[in-house]
Order: sequence, then structure tokens, then C-alpha cells
Amino acid sequence: MARLISRGFLGRRRPPEVEKRLPPGQYLVTDFPVLSAGPTPHTPLDRWSFRIDGLVKSPVSWSWPEFQKLPTETVTVDISCVTKWTKLDTKWRGVTVDTLLKGVEVDPAGQYVMAFSDGGYTTNVPLNELINGQGFVAYEFDDKPLPPEHGGPARLVVPHLYFWKSAKWIRGLRFMDRNDPGFWESLGYHIHGDPWKEERYSGD
Amino acid sequence: MNVETADMNTELMVDGNAIAGELEQIFGHDMTMAVARCAGCAADSMMATLMAFVRGPGAVLRCPSCTSVIARIVETPTATYLDARGMLYLRMTHAS
Amino acid sequence: MAALEWQLGTVTTIQPETPKTKSFYVALPKWAGHRPGQHIDLRLTAPDGYQTQRSYSIASPPELSGQLELTVDLIQDGEVSPYLHDVVMQGDQLELRGPVGGYFVWDVTVGGPLLLVGGGSGVVPLMAMLRHRAAQHSTIPARLLYSCRTPDDVIYRDELNQLAGSVAGLEVLITFTRQAPAGWTGYQRRIDAAMLNEVITPFGTSARTYVCGPTLLVESVANLLVGMGLPADRVHTERFGPTGS
Repeated sequence: MARLISRGFLGRRRPPEVEKRLPPGQYLVTDFPVLSAGPTPHTPLDRWSFRIDGLVKSPVSWSWPEFQKLPTETVTVDISCVTKWTKLDTKWRGVTVDTLLKGVEVDPAGQYVMAFSDGGYTTNVPLNELINGQGFVAYEFDDKPLPPEHGGPARLVVPHLYFWKSAKWIRGLRFMDRNDPGFWESLGYHIHGDPWKEERYSGD
Repeated sequence: MNVETADMNTELMVDGNAIAGELEQIFGHDMTMAVARCAGCAADSMMATLMAFVRGPGAVLRCPSCTSVIARIVETPTATYLDARGMLYLRMTHAS
Repeated sequence: MAALEWQLGTVTTIQPETPKTKSFYVALPKWAGHRPGQHIDLRLTAPDGYQTQRSYSIASPPELSGQLELTVDLIQDGEVSPYLHDVVMQGDQLELRGPVGGYFVWDVTVGGPLLLVGGGSGVVPLMAMLRHRAAQHSTIPARLLYSCRTPDDVIYRDELNQLAGSVAGLEVLITFTRQAPAGWTGYQRRIDAAMLNEVITPFGTSARTYVCGPTLLVESVANLLVGMGLPADRVHTERFGPTGS
């Protein structure tokens, strides 16, 4: 096979001033790349709902107006995509999973969560990595409604894991008693996905 | 597809032509004219005409009729994964 | 069947086509030839091992032997096209593999009449078909409907004029969607049903059509053509995103 370093091609950058904030193998971007596994769903807000089901005593569901009334938090976090870009200081507003779980009685066996989205996308996250402020359902980015190409009306954000875990167009959380793999986890990607441990692929 | 509601994600969608190289790498010959029958709606589509989302962790091919996932391809440093559960079959005409 | 292999080519000529489009001629010692409409995968490797890959349509006809012409739009904030436009010089090496794709392919053995519809740099694989047709002295009736934003965006303008004026049975119709040249009497709007209907009328539903461009243009033109009664298997489509893919 031919081998070549492309003359003058520097690829992406790891500027020294922010290098400490970039997980291994990641490169800084300042734009916000659009990556999706399918077409934008464009579900009208009057038909949108957010549901918590699976291993819970009784499933709960919020309409869009009900969801808007839930208390929100605003956070600024760094995000890392497994395709090797990291974006610093992204500002989100949304409802923490802690808030969503208030009043939901989770079966003690339900230690794993499958986030599910419009269009069929899924991703798995252990419950203990969604609570205590680690995961939230965001509907504002940079003080504006989250644009459809970035997952609007609402997406999961779990900034301490690779960004494929932050499911776009999220419609709910399903509690499970096993850590079943989601869309990418079932095809070669790591079941957990911690960028600082570079858990990109299964076997990493 | 509603052109009025097109967003960046819709604009970035391509088709199976865009991954002709990856498919040929897997199958050993051109696959763009192989016909996939969708497991979701049974529509037949040449691989070239499938909706393709290629910017994510892997390539996702979807049925242009019902948007179901027909196939997914992931390249890792050590392996290639192909999930073709979304097709009932793939028909490859014999070269004449 | 030989595996698809990466090979090294040498850039022999770089030719500006429009303010944001350049053509790169790449000499390939191991090139096995291609058919009009096929493309190549191009791979760049940084000193730290970082790699990125894109697919580009081949603009040159098979008759141009020993080298390929690749025509590339400069995409702001892109990763590959700014490198090709601003860094690559004559004599540089590029790593590529191909040709790939067999679906979006036309040559004179396929026959006609031939209707080509292109948007922006979607004209590139269509140009390979027209150049091939001319090189073969084919008289298959052919029409190119080419959608451009402004006069500055017309790729291969002089060559298209020259081909249209000198090659029998070829008509080139350009539509400008943002701004037309002064005194322009041709189309000045996005491609719509009425325009397609006018362009396809001499050919009727027997036309073999090839549509290449941004996803939304391809989607809308293909739907219109099928709506006019063209059999779906005569409507060949190739979509690319705004990255010029």
C-alpha cells in the first residue's frame, strides 16, 4: 500500500494553550460539526413528548409545554466527538436527569438506561453516569433554541462521554437491567465511551 | 422531503455513490448497482440511491422510500463492521 | 479481481476554473482507466498520522490517458478543499484510489438521448460524459441543463461554449439562480417543472437522465422527472453535500 505524508497537510490542531483540555487523540474545532445517523425528524412540538419507561413503577411522560415548565440549569461544558473533534465551552440550557427522575420510582434492577430518539437512534448510558448533574436534556444552545441539525427540539447531553452518547432528537429514557448496546455501541463502538480513557472502539 | 424545512443535516445527506469506495473495499467489486430490498417496506433500491449519512462514527445507509436503516458500516483501526440487518436481500446481477 | 489500492499520483497542472473552483491534473502511473461519471477517493495524511478522506468526481474523459482531472470547489471551513486550493502545488503527490462507482456512469454504448442536469460543481461528472461524447465524435443528442448562482460560478464556461458551438447535437442551457449576466435572455430561476419540461421536450420520456448536485436540487429534479413519466431506472442521481463531498 502506498504510504505518504501529504506535504503541508497539518490536519487538525491541538493548540498548546488548550492542549490540557483536549482528551487524547482529539483536535480542537471552533465550528460545530453536524453529524447524524439519519434525516432530521422535524416532529411538531404539539406532537412531541418525553417519556421515561422500562423498569420504573409507572412510566411518565411530559408534553412540550409541560417539559418547558420543568426547572432548568445552564451549563458550559467541553464536548468531544469520537470522530476526533473537541469543542470547548459549549453553553447549554436544559433539564437535568435528576430533575426528570424526581417522582419516578425506578426498579432497583434498573441500573442502565437506553436513551431513544425520533428516527430510531438509541444509545446506552449507565444510570450512575446520568445522575448527580452528569446528564441533562437540553433544548437551548448558546441562549437560542437548539437548531434541528444539532438535535432540536431537545437532545441528551452527557459531556463526560463521547458525544454519540448525547442523543439528538431525544424522546425518552428507558430503564433496563442490563447494559444493552445502542446504535453505535452495537457496531464496534465502545460500550462506555470515556474520551479521557480513549474508549473509542469495543476492545479499547 | 420537504425542501422548505431543509436544515444543514438534510443538506449534508448524500447517497450511496459517496461510499462506493468503502463498499468496493468490502465486497471486492463495485456495489453501487446491487439492489437492496428494504426489510422495513420491501422497496428495492440500488445501493447508489440509498440515503447516506457518512459524517458520523460510521456510514448509515437508509431506504429512500421509508428511511429505515438498510445497512451500517463502521471502520475501526483493526476491523470493518457491516450490519445489513435492514435488508431482506442484496441482489447482484452477474457480470455479462 | 484486484483489490482497490491506494496509489500515488503527481499533480502536473493546477488550473483555476472560477474564483472558488480549481482543476487539478494528476498523473497516475498505475491508473487502469475509468468510465465517465466515476469518482476517486482521495486521502490526506498529516505528520502525526491524522487522516481524512473525500470522494471526488473525475472531470476528465477516459480518452485523456495517463492522468485525471479533478475539479474541486473551495469550501470555507473545509478540511480538504482548502488544502488542495491553498497548499498543493505542481509536483506534489496525492494519494488516491479508484475509479469507484458504476451506477452514475454514461458512455456512448449506453446511448441516448442524453439529458444531463447539474447544479454547481455537480457539473463535474457530467463534463466527463460530455468530453467523452465529443472525443468519440458521437452524434447522440445531448442537452446539459446547468444551474449556477452567478456568472462567476460557471465552471468550464469557455469549454462548454466551445463544445456547444462545435459538437453536433449538443445544447448547453444555463440557468442563473441569483444573478445573470447583463443582457441574459436564458433561464434565471431555480430548476422547476416548467423548465425541465421545456428542456426534455425534444427527447421525451426516452431520455437517459443524469442529475448531480446538492441534495435538494437532485431530490427535486429527480422527483419532477419521474413525475413527467420517465422510468425511474432512467433517472440516475448523485447527491453531494455542501462540502463538495
